[in-house]
Amino acid sequence: MRGLRRAVVAVAIGGVIAGIVRLRGTDATPPQQGGWRELEGQDLT
Amino acid sequence: MTLPDGRGRVAVVGAGIVGARTVRELIGPGADGQPTNDGVVLVSRREDRLRELSPIYGSRVSTVRADALPALPDDVGVVVVAREQGAQVAVVEDAVRQGRHVVVVGDDPDDVEALLALSGAARDAGVALVVGVAMAPGLSCVLARHSAAQLDSVDEVHVARDGVAGPACARQRLRALRGGAVDWRDGAYVRRPGFSGRELCWFPDPVGARDCFRASLADPYLLVPAFPGVTRVTSRLAASRRDRALAPLPVLLPPPAEGGPGALRVEVRGEVAGGKETIVHGVFDRPGIVASALAAVVATDVVVGLPPGASGLAAVHDTVPLLAELARRGVRAARFHGGS
Repeated sequence: MRGLRRAVVAVAIGGVIAGIVRLRGTDATPPQQGGWRELEGQDLT
Repeated sequence: MTLPDGRGRVAVVGAGIVGARTVRELIGPGADGQPTNDGVVLVSRREDRLRELSPIYGSRVSTVRADALPALPDDVGVVVVAREQGAQVAVVEDAVRQGRHVVVVGDDPDDVEALLALSGAARDAGVALVVGVAMAPGLSCVLARHSAAQLDSVDEVHVARDGVAGPACARQRLRALRGGAVDWRDGAYVRRPGFSGRELCWFPDPVGARDCFRASLADPYLLVPAFPGVTRVTSRLAASRRDRALAPLPVLLPPPAEGGPGALRVEVRGEVAGGKETIVHGVFDRPGIVASALAAVVATDVVVGLPPGASGLAAVHDTVPLLAELARRGVRAARFHGGS
């Protein structure tokens, strides 16, 4: 019985940790070159 | 129909966030400082909403409370339908039957498929039916066509969108994320589960990087017919991991009156002079503002130039005047230059 209780607690703790990791994620690396430029002037004539 | 030389009036069906903003765009002056139409008829099921909006618009807008499309005056050349998902097809059928050009704001794939099926009726009536006029689909189709004009051939189109317009759009976004997605791959539509295929997409600043997922979206249905020979077309929605975790649960809070700033990214891959080329365009703005400005410009400047029948905005071959007019109205597309 005690073993079963320990297993349930272990699975529950593992699930909580997995959930936190999944929701937080990791920071992404932004593009290292280039950028956005609005269409204007010659682009729109 | 009387537009654009005789101008004529435009009817807008639906007085939500997008419908109300479309009316505002329509009563503003064109690039030459002159009115772009002879007036607007706003049709809504909600008497209180019409009472609220009518004094704001002034004398150029008349209002009609009606559940279905009423018998409109003869000088109404174009009908803009901006009702929520599931309430558009009957109105469009009536408008086509009355012999008026129709511009439909919406992104529900079932509605888009049903509207494209009205192509024969529109051809018989000699009117253009423009389907999926929103941020995506809509501006996504325009930007895909704009990119395609700089390529010899188009192999792939990938669309990603962030943000919603009004409450109906927010409900539709949730349905889309919970529903089944459709990708175009090697000549066939392939069904995929919603919330699958996570991809980090870079939108114009200040939105930046967002996780985007497959969802039940209409872009492939409008882009595939416009680009014969295209091998892959995908469409994704930005969502957070919290959205993903909570998606199966019932939503207890109502959506806000209007969503915050959103963004669009359209990546087109193809060939130029035998070499591979990738062109990325994007927009940062509120989706409701993009959809209403686009609907107004299409209704006054574009719809009469399209052949009779149903199509999306990728059928517009000269995208430059359309993008220039959108820029004049404050919706400015951008292109990504440089490396990855």
